[in-house]
Amino acid sequence: MTKAPAPPVYDGQQRIVRLILMVITAILGVMAIYPLLYMLSISFKPPPEVFRSNVLPAQPTLANFFYVLTEVPFWHYLANTFIVSSVVTVVALFFHTMAGYALARLRFPGREAVFLAMLSTFLVSLPVIIVPLFAMVRMMGMVNSWAGLIIPSIFDAFGIFLLRQYYLSLPRELEEAALIDGAGYWRIYWSIILPLSRPIVSTLAILFFLANWNSFLWPLTVAPQSDLWVVQVAIANFKSQYSSAWNYTMAASVIVAIPMLVIFVIFQRQIMDSIKTTGLK
Amino acid sequence: MTAHLNGDRKAAKRAALRQLPTERREAVAGILFVLPDALGLLIFIGLPMLLAIGMSAFEVDGFGGFRFVGLGNYARMVADPLFWSALRVTLTFALMAVPLLYVIGLMLALLVQKTSRFNTAMRFLFFAPQVVSLVVVALVWQLMSVEKIGVLPRLIAGLGLGSVSFLGNPHVALFTVVLAFVWFLMGFYMLIFIGGLQDIPKEYYEAARIDGANRAQSFWHITLPLLRPTSFFVLVVSSVAAVSGQQAFDLVYVMTRGGPANATLLLITYIYQQAFQYGAFGYASAMATLLVLMLMAITLAFFWATRGGRFQYD
Amino acid sequence: MSDTHLRPQGWSRRSILKAGVGLGAAGLTGFSLGSSAFAADGSLNFMQFIGPNGPSKTQSEWIVHLVDAWNSANDAKITLDYVPDSEYIGGTKLATSFASGQGPDVFLISPGDFLRYYNGGVLTDLSPHIDAAAQADFPETVIANRKVDGKIYGVPMEVEPMAFYYSVKAFEDAGLNENDVPKTWDELLEVGKKLTTADRYGLLFETQPGYYQNFTWYPFMWQGGGEFQQADGKSAFDSPATVAALKLWQDAVASGAAPRQALGGGGSDIAANLASGYCAIQNMGIWGISDLANNAPDFKYGVFRLPVPAGGKYVTVGGGWAFVANAKGKNPEAAAKFIAWALASMSKESIDRVVDWCTVAKSDMPPRNSALKAGAAAFDKGMLGVFTREIHPGTRAEPRLPPEVYKMISDAIQGTMLGGTDPQQAAATASQQIDAFLASYKGAPLL
Repeated sequence: MTKAPAPPVYDGQQRIVRLILMVITAILGVMAIYPLLYMLSISFKPPPEVFRSNVLPAQPTLANFFYVLTEVPFWHYLANTFIVSSVVTVVALFFHTMAGYALARLRFPGREAVFLAMLSTFLVSLPVIIVPLFAMVRMMGMVNSWAGLIIPSIFDAFGIFLLRQYYLSLPRELEEAALIDGAGYWRIYWSIILPLSRPIVSTLAILFFLANWNSFLWPLTVAPQSDLWVVQVAIANFKSQYSSAWNYTMAASVIVAIPMLVIFVIFQRQIMDSIKTTGLK
Repeated sequence: MTAHLNGDRKAAKRAALRQLPTERREAVAGILFVLPDALGLLIFIGLPMLLAIGMSAFEVDGFGGFRFVGLGNYARMVADPLFWSALRVTLTFALMAVPLLYVIGLMLALLVQKTSRFNTAMRFLFFAPQVVSLVVVALVWQLMSVEKIGVLPRLIAGLGLGSVSFLGNPHVALFTVVLAFVWFLMGFYMLIFIGGLQDIPKEYYEAARIDGANRAQSFWHITLPLLRPTSFFVLVVSSVAAVSGQQAFDLVYVMTRGGPANATLLLITYIYQQAFQYGAFGYASAMATLLVLMLMAITLAFFWATRGGRFQYD
Repeated sequence: MSDTHLRPQGWSRRSILKAGVGLGAAGLTGFSLGSSAFAADGSLNFMQFIGPNGPSKTQSEWIVHLVDAWNSANDAKITLDYVPDSEYIGGTKLATSFASGQGPDVFLISPGDFLRYYNGGVLTDLSPHIDAAAQADFPETVIANRKVDGKIYGVPMEVEPMAFYYSVKAFEDAGLNENDVPKTWDELLEVGKKLTTADRYGLLFETQPGYYQNFTWYPFMWQGGGEFQQADGKSAFDSPATVAALKLWQDAVASGAAPRQALGGGGSDIAANLASGYCAIQNMGIWGISDLANNAPDFKYGVFRLPVPAGGKYVTVGGGWAFVANAKGKNPEAAAKFIAWALASMSKESIDRVVDWCTVAKSDMPPRNSALKAGAAAFDKGMLGVFTREIHPGTRAEPRLPPEVYKMISDAIQGTMLGGTDPQQAAATASQQIDAFLASYKGAPLL
């Protein structure tokens, strides 16, 4: 899987280059994570301390976490969010791999037109279409329902686009061998293309899950009932007209970030395992 | 025995299918594979988008009143100085953000692409900003950039460059928003680039090495050209993200509300204001339509520059 | 609009486009296909940002009790439709509901939004349901901006006047005491400079553009005699008083006494700015009292009324939310009755409800004379007492302006305060824009 020319023996000079690169990477990594320390810090601060510039809380407290987890039905919102994110991710990956494969590999009339049409839907952002979209979803009777939360979120050209680009660069030989063997297109998709897609599908799983895990505007619009709230709507609720309970907001954000980071680690491992086992790359 | 019979039946089915011309079978399969997504996109994005375009020919008050005005909303746009200002801010934002995201995303990917424990940990750090919500991002950048006590102004003052208001000075605010935007999204593009880099067969590099090429040469002659599908993807996606993306919008909305003095008023922010604060849905739709057309032009330009990310036409 | 628009016969590009335009228009005109999903049982929905499950327990309880009390005695039931505050004020939720033909039956608006909804024809005249005694109970300074042609279209639940809050500790550190509280603009700038240190600003005005920034700036314009409109309907914005008010804020920033950005929720967030020590004086509304009590109970502060320019007259601005009924809702009459019953009846419950909202749930001035009397004990105590005695008597109702005019004024404030535009220039530009807008404006009068 290594891309760079990896000579079998390292001479001293190369070792130094590698070391310098590692140091640079580490410095960049610390810079990337630094702003998030504020979030972590505030989540442990009592309200009067929130806007003091000390990064280490003078009087660290767990009260914010207790409040979020006990005073607010936060577990319920986490569960809602988890259900929406997982269902959307699984269904979207299924549909998008099919579409991406067809757009990259199968010849059918109007293929490039379909691709460009799909791509053009990617150019619109939600605030632009939210009024007509909401009107339509309401006509379908999906307001305040799981269907309304989930179904419109599945369709997003981003994943199709990425998968198409990925399938464009897969070697053709495997498929062709299967075709000669007499395999149908469904079987090629299911037993050849999908397994080969593990790294990209894992990456997309992270990205889809994340997008839905943090989504706010659509869930708020389509499901205002509090038993269907997702976490970001619940977090927005810590803000009142003139002031915000930033300590709760940050504690809730830390709690919300943890499952996402776990998912990142799990799928990263998937990516690496698949690279090792397929030996394709 | 059973297996054999089974195989026979399957073979018969296959034979029947094969009576369809191969091209026909492939076309049918292709269409069926694309269908679920095509329908979903059509219903949940395509139609609303067409409705939005349709709305741009009306004056809409947001309470049920509407009046056909033809191209009136477009004429209004031409005469609206804020529209031009927002367009300029949007282009400046995109021209800074897109190249930065491309270069930084690729650089980070090259740094951590090899599988090792260290690199995995680093990927985690670079990706972490993505995981927090925009509300957090806004507050954190506000704390870092606020005058007198924020880290950034202190850093600048420490260098003897005087005091700078990172979000309150119209000449600086847009750069600060770009910085936050790039910081927030770089991990995302890093992941995409890592995927693309892993697709490049390593035999190419070996061959190049044998030919005596150095690292820089292999990068220019192998990595970059073979990264074309990914590059096309990243350029299109980051342009969309910068010009009309939810994230650019959210970031501006929570960090500056378009201020100071409209210095960070992106077109998408202005569209939002016109629609939801002023109730001018028709005018907002007209600007949104223009935005989509602009993005289409950009996409086609990238499509052409990277040859659609295809190596050969099949 | 009929639903035939939804089913184009052939999917030609033209027919899709046609159908799209039709459906778009239909979606916007509020045709109702399908069921009313928000209140399937036919009850009236009340969209607001208070509760249930709102961020403040006392406020949330207040509104839940209000609706329970109504529902137990009436056939037309009310359901609370809660929207988190950030998405209600300046968010998409209310606009999306109305634009897609499903506006709530009862909702809250601030004066800044009044004209948009009134001119859109969705506000019900509430006066037939409010008896004369109750109508007279609302002082003109409070109710004027919710009236058109003498009819009441919104019943205010609170009055939130603006003042300045200062940190006692910051004053002491600078060798100042309560007698040094500034009374004129010059003194304000001077004290602001004195209180400015290496890590603290002397003075804080709102910095982010928006309705709130405009709201806090208006009294400075009024104090020198500035107005939006002349008697003949032309813009009066290009006046010496306006220029002076723009210059005051510009000078505060230019002198280094006031910052270009604020912390937390911005200029209206007192715990994040004044209590944290980021600034020594903050331009702030009456709600600061309860915000500080909740978020920084140990913080010592004082309150003083807005200083005046040389030769000016004291005036401050009072904002606040009002209940309104959707004229295109399911049952506008029942909605109007509910509002009159809740906040504008002479019954003891109605008056006490207003007192409760302004003293227990929040710390506000009441919009009714009877409530001020009934709650005298609470309104005269402590900091609220300072507002009752010194600050509130000069309150003028928050102006109602069309959003277009609000934006022109916002650009003038932002341009001078943060963009370095010459105040005279900014006032002249805004005035021209306002005139151009007013020439074709056909709605209720600006106030």
